[in-house]
Amino acid sequence: MIKNPLRGCSAIAGIGYTEQGKIANRTALSFHTEACANAIKDAGIKKDDIDGLFIYRHFNTRSNEPDITPYLVAQQLGIKPDYLSEEANCARSHLYNAVSLLYSGLCKYILISYADNALLSKRTFVDEATHGEPFGDVAAFGQFGLVSAYAMAARRAMFENGTGPNVWKHIAMSTRAWANLNPRAIMHRKVMSEDDYFNSKYIVEPLRLFDCALINDGGRACVITTTERAKDLKNSPAVILGIGQSNPSYDIHQSFYMTKNSGAKRASELAMHMAKVTHKDIDALQIYDCFTYTVDLTLSDYGFYDYGHGEEFFNDKKTYPGGRLPMNTSGGLLSEAYFMGLTQLTEGAIQLMGRAEERQLGVLNGTKKPNIVLCSDNGAALQTHNCTILGSIDTL
Amino acid sequence: MKNIILPTPNEETEFFWEGCKHHKLLFQKCNDCGFVRWPVNILCPECLSFNYSIIESKGRGFIFTYAIYHYAYHESFKEKLPYNVAIIKLNEGPMLLSNIIDCNNDELTCESPVEVVFEDIDDEVSLPKFKIIKKIKF
Ligand SMILES: [Zn+2]
Repeated sequence: MIKNPLRGCSAIAGIGYTEQGKIANRTALSFHTEACANAIKDAGIKKDDIDGLFIYRHFNTRSNEPDITPYLVAQQLGIKPDYLSEEANCARSHLYNAVSLLYSGLCKYILISYADNALLSKRTFVDEATHGEPFGDVAAFGQFGLVSAYAMAARRAMFENGTGPNVWKHIAMSTRAWANLNPRAIMHRKVMSEDDYFNSKYIVEPLRLFDCALINDGGRACVITTTERAKDLKNSPAVILGIGQSNPSYDIHQSFYMTKNSGAKRASELAMHMAKVTHKDIDALQIYDCFTYTVDLTLSDYGFYDYGHGEEFFNDKKTYPGGRLPMNTSGGLLSEAYFMGLTQLTEGAIQLMGRAEERQLGVLNGTKKPNIVLCSDNGAALQTHNCTILGSIDTL
Repeated sequence: MKNIILPTPNEETEFFWEGCKHHKLLFQKCNDCGFVRWPVNILCPECLSFNYSIIESKGRGFIFTYAIYHYAYHESFKEKLPYNVAIIKLNEGPMLLSNIIDCNNDELTCESPVEVVFEDIDDEVSLPKFKIIKKIKF
């Protein structure tokens, strides 16, 4: 078999964190610039080395803040990149762009950033949903935003394959148990029992508060470069072995894939094919958990368990700390912080770099040092999906 | 009524809302492949034909899925909590977002048969809502 030249050609070389949670006095832009500056510093490069800057989709800022554009992030960082990009409506194209640009030689060091002050802005993720009808035409029926979109998908899955809160509780609780090991996680000091899960109030039924991602202030960024360059930098690189993206695109009102064969299926097949790995090679999972149901669907579409069979999969606690298939080891979007797919991608990278402190796989009791970590990213209402397989330098 | 949200017809969707006003559920049907489409589209997403006719749906179908709001994202829905939003799969094909009325939320199930009922908001606006078709017991 001919090796795909994109396998392992690029790597994550640096990660930028910021303060995160409820922060009363910061603009969204300030979190972008801080996360980017920290990622540049962590990679051990100069800011002028950055020749590509991508920012995730940004949300409307308060009227007393500037609109966030990649121009403005570049301006604040004092850089003049050759390539600028900002995703629209969550299409998760960053890694396709980054790997292609690095492989082609058009870029050498790429920064990817996401930031928001969602708590300060009192964001409820209503205006951010994308539907085929004008806003008022569905809002007249009381349809608002993304929680409901995923709630409708989750409800259909309960009907079709029997999944439900007895599966989703494990996703919420195991993710929280990991957050309890991560001092950076917003829910670090809050444990979650099964009663806590079931007692959390419905937002849009069948989704409870603890089925939903956090809303927080803060930012996250990472530097991606060619693996050859990354080898000369200070961090042990997290190599991108495989990427796959798929955009089924249909909004949830017209979706025919809300319970199976979502973008996760094709994206994971593409990524595993490029990476030349199978399920048994994967040491840890970092699964985009905007809602618990998203994880349930993603894992079935990825082929980890059949649709509706989540209880059998989760019952042995394999995804909890100390389990044999750790998942969302930072606490994920549910219990660490919401930085779109960068929460997952940066956690996958920091684990491979061996810098995850108390929650470090291979150090924490009952875990082994990871060589291959699968990360997922998903956007809009299941309309876009990216699967990324990261590996240690030994996997090349 | 305070600050309620109403549909905002545009040049292309006006026929649908005008139909609702007259208690008719109208959709575009492709003249070439017969596909009945929603949302409004200048062409057929199945065959890309621009030729279509407007047909009237019989207004029957089933609940494909639904969700129950326990949180009001807009003040006009506060007093309606908890309320449902459902996706209706119509017999002609289109999936339409609406509400199921005249039932308790705990009576809702996917696949329940429903039929359209028009709710007149005022002289100009009617919303197509749905009620469950109760099975006749002998
Ligand atoms: Zn057609």
